[in-house]
Amino acid sequence: MAATTSPPDALHLESLTRVFTPRGKAPVTALDGVDLRLPAGGVHGLLGPNGAGKTTLCKIACTVLLPTSGRASVLGFDVVRDAAEVRREIGIVFGGERGLYGRLSARENLEFWCAMHGLGRRETRTRVSALLDRLGLADRADSLVETFSRGMKQRVHLARGLVADPPLLLLDEPTVGMDPVSAHDFRALVGELRTEGRTVVLTTHDMAEAESVCDTVTFVDHGRVVGTGTPGDVRGLLARGSRIRVHDVADARALAGPLDLPGVLTTHDPARRTLDVDVEGGQDVVGQVMAAILAAGHTSVTAGPPSLEEVYLGLLGTDGDGNRRGMRVGS
Amino acid sequence: MSVVRTVATGVVVQLRQMRGTPDWFLALFTAPLTTAVFVTIFLHAGRGDLTAYGVLAPALIALWQMSLQTAGELIAKDRENGSLEALLAAPAPFAALLGGRVLAVVAVSLVAFAEAWAVGWALTGSPVDVAHPWVFLLVLGLTALAMTGWAGVMACVFVLARSARTFQNSLSYPFYVLGGVLVPVSLLPTWVEWPSRLVFLSWSSDLLRDALAAGPVVGLGARLAAVVGLGAAGYVVAHGLLGRTLQRVRRTGSLAHA
Ligand SMILES: Nc1ncnc2c1ncn2[C@@H]1O[C@H](COP(=O)(O)OP(=O)(O)OP(=O)(O)O)[C@@H](O)[C@H]1O
Ligand SMILES: [Mg+2]
Repeated sequence: MAATTSPPDALHLESLTRVFTPRGKAPVTALDGVDLRLPAGGVHGLLGPNGAGKTTLCKIACTVLLPTSGRASVLGFDVVRDAAEVRREIGIVFGGERGLYGRLSARENLEFWCAMHGLGRRETRTRVSALLDRLGLADRADSLVETFSRGMKQRVHLARGLVADPPLLLLDEPTVGMDPVSAHDFRALVGELRTEGRTVVLTTHDMAEAESVCDTVTFVDHGRVVGTGTPGDVRGLLARGSRIRVHDVADARALAGPLDLPGVLTTHDPARRTLDVDVEGGQDVVGQVMAAILAAGHTSVTAGPPSLEEVYLGLLGTDGDGNRRGMRVGS
Repeated sequence: MSVVRTVATGVVVQLRQMRGTPDWFLALFTAPLTTAVFVTIFLHAGRGDLTAYGVLAPALIALWQMSLQTAGELIAKDRENGSLEALLAAPAPFAALLGGRVLAVVAVSLVAFAEAWAVGWALTGSPVDVAHPWVFLLVLGLTALAMTGWAGVMACVFVLARSARTFQNSLSYPFYVLGGVLVPVSLLPTWVEWPSRLVFLSWSSDLLRDALAAGPVVGLGARLAAVVGLGAAGYVVAHGLLGRTLQRVRRTGSLAHA
């Protein structure tokens, strides 16, 4: 049998651990023995709460941070041993407003980063113009970046990540501060990058964004991977089947009887006037439930598999002890 | 990736950053004023023969200040600006980039020599004569290069030792003495003269003063060698420290926390 060598993974992490030891403080384990393979090609989302370790993972992948133990390789190159090769393969975008030179114009910023990636003069000129066009910055190309809005800076960041035409892009919260139109354009851009055969690793807190662009999603929590797969796969991680939401339900009592079926759970939210019906069983049970709802005179119904946001909340919405996480708002 | 091209990139990006931003040029605003003070005092004391001293000292101070203080903060500034990580993740050698940026600052600081010379002319009514212009230019060029290396050292020190920045200002003054900026180190007590001979600037300032004076510049070769050797030592130290600095950044991740 002929040995077929499969192309190297875009990102391959083996027991990757990263511990920070801030001076005079207790050590923090940002990544705790992470094993992960993200294949080359496609868009891979990294999702998880604040402090989960997503940025740490990106920094290790782009060689600016060393692993404490374990290994990480990018397109077959080890991030420690082959750091120089890794740097030639990746483009990085760290979200936020910082990281650009405010006293330089957008064009000058991009020209600088082209030089940092070893591009020649002519190549730089065409590449920079093309990127300014592609990211809708052409008419402000020669304004100082310090005069830009947050979203515009964010677009310069994206252009910066693309100057070297890299096969792998690491985007750490690339849409923070973007308006909805720009965020929509961003999704289209990511789609184009995928079509061009690039790999995109994306961290985001925007579940709709992840849902619409990611081929795989990986949930990270406390430095561990708690679930990974295609959006379809991870839906299966949520211990429930379909959810049917009935709208305009002021009083759920009329439906309580007909929906008292095995494997069916109802939750009424009087404030939103919605009744959520979670169905454990197969399509026959779903049919039965739908019939009961329609028979009761309700026609405003939405149904479907759980959204990524619901999966996220299901997997990561509570901490280990079942307490709700996040800010203590309205609790 | 080509080191030379990266150095050139550093020069260009630094000049573009400095464009229209007076903060970088403060030393160039004070140099003419200091010159006026020195030259006026010398004239008042009837020592017009010392004008050359009064012109050189402020220019050397400006060179030292701009190089060490401004250039020394370059890494720290990139850390604060949030651009350091992207720089480290880029293929171009960081050391060459830093070298280019420091060189740009040092080169701009040389404007102080022209400023001081012009002020000296205005106050005395006659330009300070440069008796050995080629020696002067050669020494100035070598001094700028040596300064670049040592400013690179300071750039690392400011990152490695946080407290160094607190002393940044007061740190300059001992070096004005050790560098023979106003007073030739040969006039200092021997226990000061000795350590000052390890500071390249003391050789530079003596040579620059001699290049202005009419008499011959004695022992030129050996003295130039001292500037070159001590300057080269700066590059070696800077290279070693930068390697350690960047390694520490990768190991602790601490540089990202401004
Ligand atoms: N340089 C550092 N020194 C000390 N601790 C750090 C450092 N960088 C990150 N950490 C800690 O490591 C953990 C993971 O942080 P990280 O920035 O990777 O999280 P994240 O998933 O990107 O969060 P967010 O969604 O808020 O961006 C956190 O507890 C953080 O406080
Ligand atoms: Mg983060």
